[in-house]
Amino acid sequence: MKNLMKLSVLGLLVVFLFASCAKQPTQQMDEAKAAIDAVVKAGGNIYAKDELKKLNDDLQAAMDEINAQSKKLFKKYGPAKEMLIKVKTDAEAVQALIPARKEEAKNAAVNALNEAKAAFEEAKALLDKAPKGKGTKADIEAMKSDLAGLETMLTEVQTAIDSEDYFGAKDKALSIKEKAAAISEQINAAIAKVKK
Amino acid sequence: MKWSAIRAALILVCQLSLVLLNQSCQTAPAPPEVARALEQEQDLWRAGASFYAPEEYEAYRQALVLARKFYEKEELKIGFFRDYDRVRQEFSRVLAEGERIGRIIEEKKASLTGEITTRKNDLVSRYEVLNNLSLELSQRTLSRQQLAQADVLLREVDRLLDQAKYQEARSRLDKVNSLLNQSENVLRRQLDRYMSPGEIARWRQLAERAMEKSRSGNQLVILVSKLERKLTVYKGGQPLKTYEVGLGFNGLSDKLHAGDNATPEGEYKVIKKVSPSRFGKALLINYPNEDDLKRFNEAKKKGYITAGSRIGGLIEIHGGGKDGLTQGCVALDDPEMEELFRMIPVGTPVTIVGTTDPNNKIIAILKREPGEKQ
Repeated sequence: MKNLMKLSVLGLLVVFLFASCAKQPTQQMDEAKAAIDAVVKAGGNIYAKDELKKLNDDLQAAMDEINAQSKKLFKKYGPAKEMLIKVKTDAEAVQALIPARKEEAKNAAVNALNEAKAAFEEAKALLDKAPKGKGTKADIEAMKSDLAGLETMLTEVQTAIDSEDYFGAKDKALSIKEKAAAISEQINAAIAKVKK
Repeated sequence: MKWSAIRAALILVCQLSLVLLNQSCQTAPAPPEVARALEQEQDLWRAGASFYAPEEYEAYRQALVLARKFYEKEELKIGFFRDYDRVRQEFSRVLAEGERIGRIIEEKKASLTGEITTRKNDLVSRYEVLNNLSLELSQRTLSRQQLAQADVLLREVDRLLDQAKYQEARSRLDKVNSLLNQSENVLRRQLDRYMSPGEIARWRQLAERAMEKSRSGNQLVILVSKLERKLTVYKGGQPLKTYEVGLGFNGLSDKLHAGDNATPEGEYKVIKKVSPSRFGKALLINYPNEDDLKRFNEAKKKGYITAGSRIGGLIEIHGGGKDGLTQGCVALDDPEMEELFRMIPVGTPVTIVGTTDPNNKIIAILKREPGEKQ
């Protein structure tokens, strides 16, 4: 009987030790969060939106699992730990994707800027060679001012590129290109008016 | 015989057990609602659910987490004991809620697109009015630059709307509005006089005096109306001939000093017929007259113009084309100038006014309260 008592106490002690000694995977939690932060810092909000969302969801699922386990008598943090390790690995993979995507966006913005500049220069060249005589002088003066307005905006595109706002820069550059092309059309119409 | 019957029965039992074991170990397929819900959640997030329906989306996500827990619980069971009915029910509920949130997002987006498009259309109309006014009035000033920039931004708004970037589209529209205000202010500063009843009355008086001169002695009189870009020759108070004319770069302003590219206003007369001139035939008028000199000296005294400013001169009615821009002269197409040159003798009175129309187009376009929509 005495032995049975001893065994019971020992058993309870073992159970208590197992239950209280299972530690939360804090290191993995910190590492996973740091890895996600690094993705955000690298521009994940812009260049890897979907992936970043999935990482945050996975992290949340791991945290939910930890939370659920912490309420149990027999805590089992193994699956949560694995989930966190996967989040970290995935985050590192996502972070590795960003530079290429950023470069791609930058190239697209720079190309759009070059196209806008080319369209602007084309309009300017057309304007320079347009006959400034009867019938065109007034139009040409107006278009010169229009082009001066576009020139200011071209510098804004460069500023946007310099501040890494590549998508904004591209949209602006494409709009400038369109407007410059419209001005070229107007110049050609003015030239045609003289030829008539 | 007995043994063989027992053996056969045992084999049958073993086979049945194997079949049952196989059945129980087989994983029952997860309900399709599970994958659909996960996909739907991604779609909702991408569509901006956290922005357009934050509370509904949060509740939806919590319901999804709960449904997943039911699913995971069932997954832990041996296949034979799995029952996905509850899981299916939970996920179906989540999917239905997700569809409702999807509709909310679509409605909000449609409403935002509508609101932004309406505002954009208002600004486009305003841009077109100012652009046409600017072109029509040959105001080659800063307003053209601002109008060109506004046009670029309006094009950007279309791109941003396509990408559902509503906040950015709104911010571009604010900039467009500001540019149009600047442009309008530039035009307003230059054209304010054309909206002033006092100024219009003064011009009408000048025009009336010109008519009186024309009536008395049945003489020829030239009346130039700058806003309408018309030069009319009167005889005996009746219009004899009307020509379209071009003005200076800053033609709608009243000339104050040399180099302002403005066309003078007031009562003048032809003092010389020049042929050939730099621009075909020309009628030189006596700018500056006494009034001009008085105004110039006052402006200098008050510091409105620099001490070194000169009043200028050599203002002509000349050929070269009505579409050309002058430095303050009145220009006609050459054949019409030839005709006018033949018709007009030295000494002919020339009256130049802004406008005589109290309901002119500038009033129609610019006379409205600031911020009032066109």
